[in-house]
Amino acid sequence: MSAAETRQGAEGDVSLSVDRVVKSFGDARAVDDVSLKVRRGEFVTLLGPSGCGKTTLLNLIAGFLAPESGEIFIDGAPISGLSPFERNIGVVFQNYALFPHMTVAENVGFGLKMRKVGKAEVERRVQEALEMVRLPQMGDRRPRQLSGGQQQRIALARALVIRPQLILLDEPFSAIDKNLRAEMQVELKTIQRQVGITTIFVTHDQSEALSMSDRIAVMSQGRVQQLSEPIELYRRPANSFVASFIGEINRLACTRRRDADCVLLEHGAVRLRLPAARVPGEGTGDSMLYVRPEALRAVDPGTPEANLCDGTVDAQVYQGTHVDLIVKADNGWLLRVREPGFDALERWPVGARLGVHADLAEACVY
Amino acid sequence: MAIDGRRPTLLPWFIAPAALVAMLLVASLAMLFQYSFRAHLPGTLDVGGFTLDNFQDLGKWLYLRVFIDSLVISAWTAGLSLLLGYPLALALVRCRSPWLKAAILIAVIIPMFTGDIVRTYSWLIVLGTRGFINGSLLGLGVIDAPIPLLFTTTAVVVALVQYSLPVIVVILSAAISHIDSDYEKAAASLGAGPLSVLWNVTLPLSMPGILSGTVTIFAWTMSAFATPQLVGGGKVNMVSNMVYHLGFASFNFPFAAVLSMVSLLLIMMVLALLGLWLRRLERRGFAG
Repeated sequence: MSAAETRQGAEGDVSLSVDRVVKSFGDARAVDDVSLKVRRGEFVTLLGPSGCGKTTLLNLIAGFLAPESGEIFIDGAPISGLSPFERNIGVVFQNYALFPHMTVAENVGFGLKMRKVGKAEVERRVQEALEMVRLPQMGDRRPRQLSGGQQQRIALARALVIRPQLILLDEPFSAIDKNLRAEMQVELKTIQRQVGITTIFVTHDQSEALSMSDRIAVMSQGRVQQLSEPIELYRRPANSFVASFIGEINRLACTRRRDADCVLLEHGAVRLRLPAARVPGEGTGDSMLYVRPEALRAVDPGTPEANLCDGTVDAQVYQGTHVDLIVKADNGWLLRVREPGFDALERWPVGARLGVHADLAEACVY
Repeated sequence: MAIDGRRPTLLPWFIAPAALVAMLLVASLAMLFQYSFRAHLPGTLDVGGFTLDNFQDLGKWLYLRVFIDSLVISAWTAGLSLLLGYPLALALVRCRSPWLKAAILIAVIIPMFTGDIVRTYSWLIVLGTRGFINGSLLGLGVIDAPIPLLFTTTAVVVALVQYSLPVIVVILSAAISHIDSDYEKAAASLGAGPLSVLWNVTLPLSMPGILSGTVTIFAWTMSAFATPQLVGGGKVNMVSNMVYHLGFASFNFPFAAVLSMVSLLLIMMVLALLGLWLRRLERRGFAG
């Protein structure tokens, strides 16, 4: 089920609902009045720099921490009165936390044993779970005999075998080397879709978040800054924090003022006119224009096509799939212009004059 | 730098004092060893020529009994120390309140800084015929005559447990603090209640600490002297008390040496067994 399909579902399809939850450590509000709703089967990522509150929020959902105020609902039932062992939530830890004194099969079967499931049934479901993560032969091994990637798959199997209402993943790829990581991401996503389980994924790695999630909650200073689909998050960041945190972006200082149903942005000799609907807030004065490097194009200077500014190539950064031109604009802006292909290396040598075209539909002002 | 690539180092000088002490210890052990093969000359402090006679007396019930008593007292002390020490150590490591933590630490560690004689004398005050317990019970009218508490095996074990508790708590809490609390969280998330987490995860993962703590207490209780001497009052004898009696009341140094050697051997065997056991545990995946 895709996120778009689930969106049409009624309230009844909400799997996890976090309602105005607050948690402080001393004077610091680690989670500050956070509310969010996650639909059944949805993959939602909590993304943010370290200390933004994403892990605290995860611990609140798992029940390892108790909220000061607010309530958390799973399938409509409040759970903040329940201990972790009374909730039906699977957790995959950053270091996997596989019990070192048990075999792989004992690890995977632990949750079933706690639920007093019969021996034969445990055996069958453990084997099923091991096959799901494609490690059917590993049941008799000890966790330390497995590679990092294998341990992480076992941790996933252990969390899923209890058929939880929700699964929480706390930076599960941070201990895996980079080459394996992409492969594991695809595999996790495949298993998650197969099982159709609601997933909360915590990471500080934005590319991981963009590639895996149905929706992403960007967190900073204990608050959710924006909760939306990856494309929307990238193209329409809700505020300057999200704009700067996700991907690369040019931050261009300017002053703004209202002009009829338009907003006028000025810096030096540059004047831009954007429809007022595209610019949130009523303010006038100092602002920032945010525009992605790939929304900019190098064109001949002085032409109408050069709708942003004119300038000089300051440096070329060859990136394999594309070339970034660092441009010093005549009005003092320093821009990064992304040119696909490597023709740009010859076409726009260092010191060349150029104009910069901006796809202003992709620009934001805060 | 020297031509052979090795830098001159101060290391030998650092270990010199310890080496000196170790040498003295080895020398006195060697003396003890050779005393055990010398004839006892009654009425003198001298020893005679080579003999194996001393070892024959070992089989006598009187001495065998002392060894058995010592083993039993040590086993009880080790077991009870573990039973009382583990919850304390767990609370010390896992409790979140720094005040409670400090309170436990102080309560556990302070007795370590009072000498064993002082601590043993306080047990005499508590357990004596006119001591705290008998006094209270008499005063409350629960009993008519003081019950004999002092000079019993139970009293000796109680005093030894109190003496050992700080050490086992320190050993156990070191072991428990090495257990990543994520294991406990993982178990809880899989549906294990607090007792089940303790039984299935925390206890098994603290096995190395439990083993080394228990064996340490067992081994050092085997050589206890002051506590059984004072609290046992001659009615409860452990190996050290017998050695003291033989050496300084009968001046039978050779036989005292034999008893010392045998108890040393016993302790070393226990420690060797511990080593094997720990290595096996480590192979089976318990935190080392």
